[in-house]
Amino acid sequence: MNSFSLKNSISNALYFIGSMLVLIGLWQLVTILTKNEIPGPVATWQVFMELMSEPFYDRGPNDKGIGNQLVSSLIRVFSGFGAGSIVAIPLGLLMGSSKTGMKLLNPIVQILRPVSPLAWFPLGLLAFKAAEGATIFIIMITSLWPTLINTAFGVASIPDDHKNVGKAFGFSTWKYITKIMLPYSIPHIITGLRLSIGVAWMVIVAGEMLSGGVGIGFFVWDSWNALSLERILVAILIIGTVGLLLDKGFNALQNAFSYNQK
Amino acid sequence: MNTSNKSLNLVDSANDFHKINSRETAISINNVEVSFSTPKGKFTAVKDISLDIKRGEIISLIGHSGCGKSTLMNTISGMVLPTSGEVIANDKVVKGPGPDRGIVFQNYSLLPWMSVYKNIFVAVDSVFKNKSTDEKHAIVNHYIEMVNLTSHKDKLPSQLSGGMKQRVAIARAFAINPSILLLDEPFGALDALTKGSMHIELLKLWNLDNRNKTIVMVTHDIEEAIFLSDKVVVMNNGPAATIKKIVDVNLERPRNKKAIAHDPEYIRIHDELLGLLFDKFSIED
Ligand SMILES: Nc1ncnc2c1ncn2[C@@H]1O[C@H](COP(=O)(O)OP(=O)(O)OP(=O)(O)O)[C@@H](O)[C@H]1O
Ligand SMILES: [Mg+2]
Repeated sequence: MNSFSLKNSISNALYFIGSMLVLIGLWQLVTILTKNEIPGPVATWQVFMELMSEPFYDRGPNDKGIGNQLVSSLIRVFSGFGAGSIVAIPLGLLMGSSKTGMKLLNPIVQILRPVSPLAWFPLGLLAFKAAEGATIFIIMITSLWPTLINTAFGVASIPDDHKNVGKAFGFSTWKYITKIMLPYSIPHIITGLRLSIGVAWMVIVAGEMLSGGVGIGFFVWDSWNALSLERILVAILIIGTVGLLLDKGFNALQNAFSYNQK
Repeated sequence: MNTSNKSLNLVDSANDFHKINSRETAISINNVEVSFSTPKGKFTAVKDISLDIKRGEIISLIGHSGCGKSTLMNTISGMVLPTSGEVIANDKVVKGPGPDRGIVFQNYSLLPWMSVYKNIFVAVDSVFKNKSTDEKHAIVNHYIEMVNLTSHKDKLPSQLSGGMKQRVAIARAFAINPSILLLDEPFGALDALTKGSMHIELLKLWNLDNRNKTIVMVTHDIEEAIFLSDKVVVMNNGPAATIKKIVDVNLERPRNKKAIAHDPEYIRIHDELLGLLFDKFSIED
């Protein structure tokens, strides 16, 4: 790391801290204005420490530590996201590489994409006969669209120059896929995955409110029933932080695979 | 003419049995027209093109920018199919690209995610399916050496200069040992010195194969065209460009770059080509 990028990351860190201070300030202001009806940062911090003192306790199906809740949500999100990606990537490659495929599949995608994934929940229940399966199912549906669209777009935008190399030197289909199509579209695919995991992480909270059981979304709902706004605020902060980390992770992946920047 | 110049850098060893006129046809372009459909309607790039190229000939295409040189080349490579007429290469009607015709694209067309080495290897690997991996690596190394890029072989195209990219594209086209080489401004981005040594490499390669390789080259460089070619095809300006004239270059091979410049025949051809290219222009001052 040279001194320039070191300076850069120090200033970025300072801005991040500043930004957090602004958030806490505004939050405190809201607390004062609502006469403590919305718990302030200090009260929330105390509840946070309390929850974190034993994050993985397990006292029966409806009483588990916040760590357990978070892990269950993450497992669900990654299962659904994985299943969605396994479907979306090959389908996207197919869609992008043939004009007919694109014209045939694109209207379907355009109609289904704007539908809230929660609308699929009853169908998931019907198919899996269990809330757990239905939740993973809606996450899968959620993760489908951004990956599918970005993959298809990536493949469809392979420049003729690259395709011509394959033609001129008689690449087999396999060679074309592995040496031209995939390397070119991987950055696009990762962009799709990054968007997908972002939406999936948003949808899981709502999904778990519907399904119940263990999970960070259920934890929010449960805290509301227990009238603990502090716990809800803790959950919101944790959800936000995990979402940020997921995004950063995929961002790093994106940078690792973008040959242009090297 | 060149006995006195034997000590200079002689390019080709004299191969007296090389008699172009007795050779078979390698490429036959019959009445080719190429039109593109554009948002503004049909655009005819070239038309009424007929040209026979014999095996072992080196042909240059020259003409003003946009007249359709690349388009015509692409009908031989099979990247563009004629709207009417046909192109026959190696006794087969061209229906698409094939490894019997090696191409150096005008814009290099290297794969940006692969190193110099891999860009060439992937082509060699694709064309020589029956060779062992060791043999393929040897071929790649040989041609990287030929274009003087051995110390840059692990670089990505984005880390290369324009001339270096061009040399990778040349090495890649040569490495698959095609019987027809199609070069679209292959030396355009090179400095005079590198260009000179690439000319020699090109002729060496041609000699190595007993002058059996047919080479079609697009160039803007009149001296280069005369030095390398047996015929120079001058094209009219587009749209709907046709062949203006085919100028024979009857200069004995091996040719010597320095000596040839004083040859009266060379000077005559040079003037003729200049006249063909610039007849409409006069400098007003
Ligand atoms: N795919 C295409 N669609 C529409 N028009 C095209 C296409 N390819 C080429 N043309 C047109 O055909 C004409 C000839 O183009 P071409 O690339 O063959 O020219 P060129 O002689 O190689 O020029 P340069 O010396 O600048 O490389 C140009 O007017 C160009 O705009
Ligand atoms: Mg051109």
